[in-house]
Amino acid sequence: MPDLATILAGFGDAFTLLNLAYVLFGVVIGQFVGAVPGIGPVMAMAIAIPFTFALDPLVAISFLVGINKGGLFGGAIPSILINTPGTPDAAATALDGHPLAASGKPGKATRMALYASVTGDTFSDLVLIFLSAPIAILALRMGPVEVCALMLFAFSILAGLIGPSLLRGLVAAVLGVLCATVGLDPEHGTPRFYFGWFELYDGPSLVAVAIGMLAVAEILRRMAAVTRDSQPGAIRVQGDGDDRLSLAEYLSCRFVMLRGAVIGTILGAVPGLGSTAAAYMSYAATRQGDDGGVPFGKGNIKGIAATESANSAVVGANLIPLLGIGIPGSISAALLISAFKIHGIQPGPLLFENQARLIYGLFGAMLMANLTNLIVGQASLRLWVFAIRAPTSVIFPSALVFCIVGVYLSTGGMFGVALMFIAALVSLAMSACGFPVIVFIIAFFLGEGFERSLSQTLVILNGSSGALLGHPIALVLLAMAIGLAIWLGRGGRGQPG
Amino acid sequence: MLKHMIGAALALGVSAGAAWADWAPSGPIKLWIGFGAGGETDTLGRLIGKEMSDATGWTVVVENKPGGGGIAMFTQLATVPADGQTIGMGVSMPVLVNLTVRADQVPFTLDSFDYLASVASAQLAIVARKDAPFDDLAGLLDHAASSDGALVGFDAKPQELLLNVLNKDGGALRPVSMKSSAELVQNLLGGHLDAAFNAGTHIPYLDSGELKMIASANAGRHSYAPDTPTVREQGYDIYVDPVFYIAAPAGLGDDVQSVLSDALLAAMNADTVRDAIQNALHTEPSGDGPEATRAMMDDGMKNVATLFGK
Repeated sequence: MPDLATILAGFGDAFTLLNLAYVLFGVVIGQFVGAVPGIGPVMAMAIAIPFTFALDPLVAISFLVGINKGGLFGGAIPSILINTPGTPDAAATALDGHPLAASGKPGKATRMALYASVTGDTFSDLVLIFLSAPIAILALRMGPVEVCALMLFAFSILAGLIGPSLLRGLVAAVLGVLCATVGLDPEHGTPRFYFGWFELYDGPSLVAVAIGMLAVAEILRRMAAVTRDSQPGAIRVQGDGDDRLSLAEYLSCRFVMLRGAVIGTILGAVPGLGSTAAAYMSYAATRQGDDGGVPFGKGNIKGIAATESANSAVVGANLIPLLGIGIPGSISAALLISAFKIHGIQPGPLLFENQARLIYGLFGAMLMANLTNLIVGQASLRLWVFAIRAPTSVIFPSALVFCIVGVYLSTGGMFGVALMFIAALVSLAMSACGFPVIVFIIAFFLGEGFERSLSQTLVILNGSSGALLGHPIALVLLAMAIGLAIWLGRGGRGQPG
Repeated sequence: MLKHMIGAALALGVSAGAAWADWAPSGPIKLWIGFGAGGETDTLGRLIGKEMSDATGWTVVVENKPGGGGIAMFTQLATVPADGQTIGMGVSMPVLVNLTVRADQVPFTLDSFDYLASVASAQLAIVARKDAPFDDLAGLLDHAASSDGALVGFDAKPQELLLNVLNKDGGALRPVSMKSSAELVQNLLGGHLDAAFNAGTHIPYLDSGELKMIASANAGRHSYAPDTPTVREQGYDIYVDPVFYIAAPAGLGDDVQSVLSDALLAAMNADTVRDAIQNALHTEPSGDGPEATRAMMDDGMKNVATLFGK
């Protein structure tokens, strides 16, 4: 731990007007790109990095942190308001967020998302600031065998989302994993199922598939509905005043948010699973504790609190391995590293020793970005809630254009756009036949990492199942996976998307 | 209003006049990156694009075209008009490997492109934890033979082939495929691997004393570790030299090729980009122009053929 003077100097560097201005600018950009389907904060950060070259390192990094944090909350906005997630991380937020907004309470739903997001984010930032070194050392114990077991644990949350038909749920899960095997195999680099399309070498783009199946499918469904029954707006907005979020309502979600934040922080500290899985895991856990109020899936604010606290907590925690041992935990953490690098700051084990003042500056900027996110979010929510009063004939076609532009940019051309539309059609066909789309998506998201860690595990165990006894953490995780699957499967045969 | 229109007409006239003197792009130049946002290729490409745009006044639009280690991008690049408006940046190794292993499926050859510049070459090392009971490749192989094999992490196909060469006399190195240099270092530090390839992430850990370098996998030794011998020096005639380079569709014409090549070389030798290359790759910008870049690719083809035993 560096001395107090360094810590204070670092925070002092962060809390300047110039820094605040860049954090604010970053958060505004982040919330916008997060809300626009397909672009997302990662893309925006990558584009911004060369432009930060001329800035002071701390200002540059504060700006990027602002984009990242703004983007996380931004994704929830369209998810809640028009049921089309802006980023894959926000997909789970639509489950309860959209029904609540559609029932005339868009302000309540989006505010819950904003507060839960900032709460989860602040929690994981505090864990990062106070505990990153010990947690990073614990995370080092997670080798390929343990990560493989953790993946299986993540798969077990599917049991809670599988819906009324076990058979259809399993088919969706298997199809998801199958799609994840498209591209080069992780062990020997042999191309599979690519049909001559080199664009598929790295597998179908996650962004294109997620936006297609979740956002575009919903947009097409709504556009088809408009021709039959033209509504004045995407959702009704009541004027009866219960569109605010009371302190009591916020506090009633405190345990849900705490659990979400803990789940997000754990998954964030161990690279590989990501915020989408964290959001669904937190949601699945919360739905078990149905309190007899509004049913889950019909607009329960706890559903929103669960997902947004979890997916936001992942982001701060992704920096734990970065600051603890110098290894990035996610693409956005890797982008921060490249920003460090082009400013001549070497990430690695000595980062804390050599750059303590800068790191405490970064912590200051992160906390400042959380506060800014909260304030900017308040204002931008009003704007978005106002914007969706536009006729559906305006909203959904514009959303579709944004999806196309966003996916074109992030996947590098029309191939991704075509893939997005194919995914949308598959999604519509699946839901028409009663197959749970969400199960497919999660299986697809986890599939690639699972295959890789499985192939690593097989090499490490060298064909001997007895060697697994040398990996107690993995054994515990496997037992937990089986237990969770049974628990969720028994109670959770619910009504997911 | 009229004044503005006259101004615009004058400006057009001036730029048309300048075009006679030397080739200049007639619109934005697209710089395609063969990888997704956030990688080293992406960061370097965007910096070069910005520097080139600042220095020449041209508009440079950087677009990511990920897929197959750059194969998807080069496939598309080979089909666009050779007017100098579209150029692409990739890494030599994946291109050479695919042209060697499945030439019949790759819709381009080395001749499909005019080469503009090499940006830099990545330095690839084999590293191990400081407390590992070996200091060189012979020691690593002995360690593997005396225990249940040694786990060696890699993140690209040519590295796996290099391990096969090391294993040729019944060696017991077990290759473990991972996704990135960062993942490899993490698993080394956690004690899940005995050794691993690495392209730069390892360097700070050499300074901190947590890792040690066993060999350079490049043709030459590394600038930051001049005492560690290469794989070749340790008795195996093989190396892996990934080079970041920029190319355009074939048929540019000499004037276009030299204008673009000069602009790119100037950009990558600008102080900001030079620093970034040094910081990200721990090496100098290569400064190779069209001929040297093409020669690098031709030599690379021969080396990769050796690597694959073809």
